[in-house]
Amino acid sequence: MTSERVVEWTDRAAGCLVHYAARRTPEPLSQRLEEEWLADLAERRSGLSRLRLGFGCYWATYSIAREQRVATVAAASSPLANASVAGINRENSTLFSRRTVTFLLVASLHAAVLCGLAVGVSSKFVKLTPNQLEIHHIDQALPPIDLPPLAKADLNTISIDPRKPDDKLTFEPDPPPPGDVKEMPREAQGGTGTSLPPPVTINRVQGGPGIGFPSAHDFYPPSAIRRGEQGIATVSACVDGNGRLTSDPTIVQSTGSSRLDEGALTLAMAGSGHYRATTENGKPVNSCYAFRIRFDLKN
Amino acid sequence: MNAPPLCRLATMGKEDREVRMSLQTMKVLEAFLENPTDQLSGAEVHQRCKLASGTLYPILLRLEAAGWFVSRWESINPSSAGRPRRRLYRLTPTGLKRASEVFASFNRGVLA
Repeated sequence: MTSERVVEWTDRAAGCLVHYAARRTPEPLSQRLEEEWLADLAERRSGLSRLRLGFGCYWATYSIAREQRVATVAAASSPLANASVAGINRENSTLFSRRTVTFLLVASLHAAVLCGLAVGVSSKFVKLTPNQLEIHHIDQALPPIDLPPLAKADLNTISIDPRKPDDKLTFEPDPPPPGDVKEMPREAQGGTGTSLPPPVTINRVQGGPGIGFPSAHDFYPPSAIRRGEQGIATVSACVDGNGRLTSDPTIVQSTGSSRLDEGALTLAMAGSGHYRATTENGKPVNSCYAFRIRFDLKN
Repeated sequence: MNAPPLCRLATMGKEDREVRMSLQTMKVLEAFLENPTDQLSGAEVHQRCKLASGTLYPILLRLEAAGWFVSRWESINPSSAGRPRRRLYRLTPTGLKRASEVFASFNRGVLA
């Protein structure tokens, strides 16, 4: 239904444009051009094409008027020349030509639209609260409101059951993970120990090289292989919750070979992102830990 | 003999009729030169040349005023045909001669 209305509207608009454009041409031509353009309009299939024809005819009137203006007496045998006088007089009566006026109008319209958009975006159209509030005093006693009576609090029923310090609370620890289990001391929690909650147990699982960690064989220094050097390096690495290094790893215990130590550090650097983070109660945390890297020629 | 350059096409034919030659005008002439005896309406010329109507109709009127084209109404009864009668344009012998000269000059100027 909407598309039919659009087609109907475009047809009507194109017809109006053709009629209006034909009337703008000199009198001997107007009837002929109107009929000719309407016939061509009827042959156009789509509404957009008809609309373009309408605008084109409207634009053609300017060219036709200009052609009439420059028509010479040599073309007096043509029926077009008869209408040239009216076009010349109408064109010369204005300061600017119609094309210039049209161009200025279109340019000013564009400028106005752009200005309106620029101003409209920055301003607030909707004001949620009014700027001025009017206050009216109403001298009228409000009717009493019947509220239900408040229930009397029975303070005697409140009993406080102070927990004795020697009360032994049963605490079921989680099954021991394959790592360290650290128990925070009671004094470290800022109390005297007499009225403190039960000790908090943190299940800490130490991290280490995880899945995808590079092999020591790939980082075995060729110079150390040629010399037949072997050894175990202990490297300290600080790792975040995502298994990435937070600082450069360091050698805690050397292999005795600077080449192997350098290879161990290179391996530890290359393994960033493949470390298994330390977890506390199942949550990955930042931590630093040491692990060993074995350089063995037999493997 | 030197061929006339393309820029001189705009002044060609001034000795008999005022015809401002442009590429759009040449497109229109080319559409008629395909079969010089054809009588084409503005819609048919538009289909062949793909020119906008704002450009096409002034060219047709200009060429008609110069005597290159003649036009007549289509011989139908609009009420029985159910559509308005079309205005049909046809090349005159003068127009055919001048158009052929223009294209010959243009081809010599381009291909030289």
